[in-house]
Amino acid sequence: MMATDPTDRRALAEGLRRRDPELLDQLIEQYQFRLFRYLLYLTSHRERAEDFFQETWIRVLERGHQYDGKSKFEAWLFTISRNLVIDWQRQKKMQSLDTLTDSAQEQPLQFADTHSPSPLHLAMSGQQGSRIRASLEQIAIIYREVIVLRFHEELQIDEIAKVMNLPVSTVKTRLYRGLEALRAVMQGGAA
Amino acid sequence: MTFIGDGSNHQEMHLRAQRMIAQHHVEGLSQQERTWLDAHLQDCPECAGAAHSTEDALRALRATSIAFPSGLASRTQFRVRLRAEQLQESEPRSIAVWAIAGVSWALGIATAPHVWQLFAWMGERLHVPKLVWELGFGLWWLIPALIAGAVLLAESPRQRFMGSWQRR
Repeated sequence: MMATDPTDRRALAEGLRRRDPELLDQLIEQYQFRLFRYLLYLTSHRERAEDFFQETWIRVLERGHQYDGKSKFEAWLFTISRNLVIDWQRQKKMQSLDTLTDSAQEQPLQFADTHSPSPLHLAMSGQQGSRIRASLEQIAIIYREVIVLRFHEELQIDEIAKVMNLPVSTVKTRLYRGLEALRAVMQGGAA
Repeated sequence: MTFIGDGSNHQEMHLRAQRMIAQHHVEGLSQQERTWLDAHLQDCPECAGAAHSTEDALRALRATSIAFPSGLASRTQFRVRLRAEQLQESEPRSIAVWAIAGVSWALGIATAPHVWQLFAWMGERLHVPKLVWELGFGLWWLIPALIAGAVLLAESPRQRFMGSWQRR
């Protein structure tokens, strides 16, 4: 079930409300790569991404009744996983993704531990993978996230705004800046 | 936002073109904007290079594959099923607790005047100060909520324990 058209989404919402185990198994299979990839980009930490992956699906089970079937399932799924990451950061008495940004200049700080072995390096294989990895690690998390959601996960701008709980205009600004940053670092890497 | 105009300044045209290259990927371009950009890219190697490098960066990003941890999906499915069973078990119990608390509360309201009189009569007979038997009456009102709260508090550490046990 791809859950792209409204009928499928309604059926999906109904299944989640019933906590249908077969449906959940199917969804885990279907969205495993996308969710893990998003969490890996978000956390830059493989083990943490695995933990959040599991926690996200537990939350999907517990809060399935909250999915109304009006929006894309993957947008709702990413929202849940993102909130888990933010909650975890708050529990660790760290600042949230957005508060790490200097709001005046949108010059974000990286929250990933830059001294630890690169998890993206471990996760991405091949020469191409390492070039992308090196490039992405140079891009601040707030830009990296919108880039991944837009160009990897193919979400629409309004869907990204929902996932990130941000105004559409902010998402657009981050996309423009992120795209420029990606192009610049990729060009720099290739030179 | 439109970048089309009669800008004679070359620098300005490059800036417009470069903004439009990004806009094409982020929001999309109108047919008019697309035509203008295509024409500019044909004449301007610098902007054409920028357009290509943006395309290349996005193509490379999309082509990236991530090594997915083996067994993560099946471990997650197992954990989700366990949690579903746990929820199925605990749900009727929670409903029963809330139902009992609700019925007790409704009965409490219905019988409140009689119980008030009973507390007043007992207070008088036992020579208990008025404040004490009034507090006793208040406590009697809180009993259903206290029971429900105690059951829920007893339930949550068990769930936390089950949750951590199921991890991995």
